[in-house]
Amino acid sequence: MSRITTSSTAEYFAKNLQQVGFSSPLKAVLTTLKEAVDNSLDACEEHGIAPELTVSILKVGKGSGRNTDLVEIIVEDNGPGLEQGDLAKVFGEYLASSKFGRGQCSRGQQGIGISAATTWAQLTNAAGVKVTSKTQKMRKAIQCYIDVDIKGNKGIIKKKETVDWDKSNGLRVEFRIDGRVQLNGDGGLITYLEGTTLVNPHLSLNYKLLDNDWVHVGRVSDDVPKVPPPTLPHPHTMKLGEFMTHAGLYGKMTLDKFLKKGFSRISDNTIKDMMKHGLKKDHLKRQLTAIKETEYKSIFQAIQETDLANPTTRSVLTVGEEGLAKSIQRIGEVDFFSVNTRKPKICDHKPVVVEVAIARFINRGDADDAAQLIRFANRVPLQFDKAACAITKAVESVNWRSYGLTQPKNSMPLGPYVFAVAVTSPFIKFKNASKETIDASDELVEEIRRALMQAGQKLSRHIKAEHRAADLERKIQHIEKFAPILVHGLAEITKAPKKRELAATEGLKKILGRDADDAEDKLKEAEGRLKVLKAKQKKTLGINEQQEEVAKEATKKNSKKAVKKTTKKTVIKKATTKRASTKKGAVTKKVAQKKMAKKKTTKKKR
Amino acid sequence: MAKRTSPIRVRKLDKNIPKLANDICNQMLTDLENAKRPVIEAVKCSLDNSNYSPKVGYFTPGDKRVRSELNVSSVQKLARTVFMLNILLKNLKSGAVNTKRELYYISKGFMKSDAFYKPLDFEDQAESDGVVEFICDFMEVYREELNCFAGDRGGQTYSKNLIVTETLEDGTKAVVDLSTLGTTPFQPKNKPQSFQLKKKGKIDFCLVVESEGTANTLVANGITKRHKCIVMGAQGVPSNGVRGWCKTIQEQLKVPIYFYGDLDAYTMQNIFRTLKAGSAASLIRNSDFSAPDVKFLGVLPEDVKKYDLHCYSVGEKDASEARSLKKAKDVLANDPFFKDKKNKDLAAILKWLVKEKKRCEQQSVFSVDPKNPRILEEIIVDKIKKGSYV
Repeated sequence: MSRITTSSTAEYFAKNLQQVGFSSPLKAVLTTLKEAVDNSLDACEEHGIAPELTVSILKVGKGSGRNTDLVEIIVEDNGPGLEQGDLAKVFGEYLASSKFGRGQCSRGQQGIGISAATTWAQLTNAAGVKVTSKTQKMRKAIQCYIDVDIKGNKGIIKKKETVDWDKSNGLRVEFRIDGRVQLNGDGGLITYLEGTTLVNPHLSLNYKLLDNDWVHVGRVSDDVPKVPPPTLPHPHTMKLGEFMTHAGLYGKMTLDKFLKKGFSRISDNTIKDMMKHGLKKDHLKRQLTAIKETEYKSIFQAIQETDLANPTTRSVLTVGEEGLAKSIQRIGEVDFFSVNTRKPKICDHKPVVVEVAIARFINRGDADDAAQLIRFANRVPLQFDKAACAITKAVESVNWRSYGLTQPKNSMPLGPYVFAVAVTSPFIKFKNASKETIDASDELVEEIRRALMQAGQKLSRHIKAEHRAADLERKIQHIEKFAPILVHGLAEITKAPKKRELAATEGLKKILGRDADDAEDKLKEAEGRLKVLKAKQKKTLGINEQQEEVAKEATKKNSKKAVKKTTKKTVIKKATTKRASTKKGAVTKKVAQKKMAKKKTTKKKR
Repeated sequence: MAKRTSPIRVRKLDKNIPKLANDICNQMLTDLENAKRPVIEAVKCSLDNSNYSPKVGYFTPGDKRVRSELNVSSVQKLARTVFMLNILLKNLKSGAVNTKRELYYISKGFMKSDAFYKPLDFEDQAESDGVVEFICDFMEVYREELNCFAGDRGGQTYSKNLIVTETLEDGTKAVVDLSTLGTTPFQPKNKPQSFQLKKKGKIDFCLVVESEGTANTLVANGITKRHKCIVMGAQGVPSNGVRGWCKTIQEQLKVPIYFYGDLDAYTMQNIFRTLKAGSAASLIRNSDFSAPDVKFLGVLPEDVKKYDLHCYSVGEKDASEARSLKKAKDVLANDPFFKDKKNKDLAAILKWLVKEKKRCEQQSVFSVDPKNPRILEEIIVDKIKKGSYV
């Protein structure tokens, strides 16, 4: 009979690194960067520091595995730094976290990611992570290498020394791992960094990727988001075992006091309701320690049967429409955009907030390509396994055609758009430990859909204005093309004299001129609505005149749909007289004068 | 050479097409002169404008009309319509005949040779076909009356008892005795209504078989030798040629006509119903292109049980099958033909198909007695004798 052995958490993860985002050399680089950046941002936010990050990723040699490079990943922050005693725990021990189960919207939760990165470095390059740390209390920084003791799930500090560092506080991590670097596309490093800057308006980032130049992305907000404190748990989000463990924390206390103090949404009235659902009166006044396990089950059942108010939504954090609006300008030249932050909502008994930013970019993507979707969970970009994600499902389920976008059935819309959708919640239900896909529950998908549709409505004002302009041009062109053929055909069948043909041409001009007038009125109306929206956005962003001019110019070039400067009447005249009135001669002086006057008015309008 | 007489007509038409076209165009021109929007009205050819009365026997148009008023959106359609009408009128005048595809290329030729017409260019034949159909609808004339004929498929006919006389445009007569054609079928084209049919002796029935192959098998195995009958292959959804031919047989020979095909929703609602009552898309022509007396001989649900015929299940998973089932449900709820009490037995077949989610092919009868090549013929004749049809 084989011997039963136990293994440490570190051993388990060392053998199953694919479960936490290290399934390929490509993903290893991205995951390592992601874990380091997440930790830095969380630490800065926790201490109210506006984060300033420096990232460098270079190929420094050949990797130990086949088809891999030795990639150096450096992330340096201006955060609070780590005390010497915490270094080994943070970088070398699995499930060592200050955030586990706290119910806060922090990026990291379980304390697995950065230890997994250290393990990957150790397994592929035989050396852990090099860390330099300085807190405000330290005169000199500590520099050391940290390895994971895989058998014992402990961090081991090596080559420790103190060094001078011209920073008052901060942390610098250097990984050398086997990996492959992908810059663009869904799993690309640039996509990750752009995504991170988008949902962190307060982030200032300098980065260098491979041989490219250093890139600086300045912060657009000085407000460091305050992660709301965790709230008391809601009994409906717990299982029996969790409920009993939670009771164990409160020790000698009567059940009724425990219910009121240890949970949210429980009051004297709700306890009365619980009694109607089978909670016994004598249990309420009994000490928690005196309640038997079987009794806990009946108490728990009564609580689950009772209707309770939904958990509070105060524990969720939002980036905010203003922050998103400013931030989206940082990832490229934006043609126009729409942002929407929903009010916090309860989905599957958990507080959730959904935020959406949709932008059309200049010189980014093609009209026939699928729009880029950037997904976020607690402000961390999700870059893999998008098909099963709640966000992808929600985006594909919206009918974007009604907002003026091109969209194949049940797919991403097409065009040079970026759809950024952020889901923030203290309890995000991921499909896997590597946190790449949000579980698509019906309630969550519906909530995301609503956020997207609201953003779509705002977006449609821009698109509709363009469509109206295109419509006017199309109508004018239609008249120009078909009107003379119609009149000529009718005259030919009826053998009508030239006089009748000319009279019909004049009549047709009048009729179709009215239609073009209608189209022009609709265009004006659409432009008016757009102007109101732009004014709002301008107020939010404080965009200056020059930027606006650049954007306008780009829009014209990009869409190629700007209305011809020729006035409609001139076009109609030109068109309908093409064949019918060639013998009659050119446009009369009066019409020419009118044409000039109209041109001037149109110019003024523009 | 025989002297050219008046063109052969599908029906007795009390309209002078060139004059009608001239009047419509003249009205349009007058409207334009007065800066008034010209309007062209046509019968709305759709199921919601279809009336069915068992006394009439086929779909007739309701009161709904489609109005095409001139505006910037419709100017292209109207310009194309007038352009195509001009070509058709010239054809009528010269006696030239064209198919829809040929008209498509003739139009393209004009557009290519004269830049003035270039904006009208058709991207594909569907666009020019739509214009031809629109002209037929608003003038309420048949396509054939505008000298436009389709390459109608189907209608291959075999009989030892039928003589067809066709009067050609030049006045000469072509007489075809189908019994002299051997295994070669007679296939009516274009204007079957213009044929004169004559029985050679007695004809007991006319059998229209959905599958052309199966019709051929029946004939090759000698059905026309043993029975005084006409056998015709429909080759799927009946073309105008097949529809007009069945109508002519019904009108002139007064023999019972039976349809034999698959037992499935598509056959019932698309093939048999079109043959018997016409279609919503061709409301103005159903009177001459439907044979209301045709009976559904099979395969019937009772045959499936009686002969233990092999059936296929119709699943919701297969897109086309799911669509067919959905359409069958819609048809039961909305199609005036199936809603009519007189056709309740046909509707019952559709309901059976929807409920059982099965389909049975016409050839499955061959499994009843694999050693007997004449089994289908025997079952068909037996069914006719016993009145096992709907």
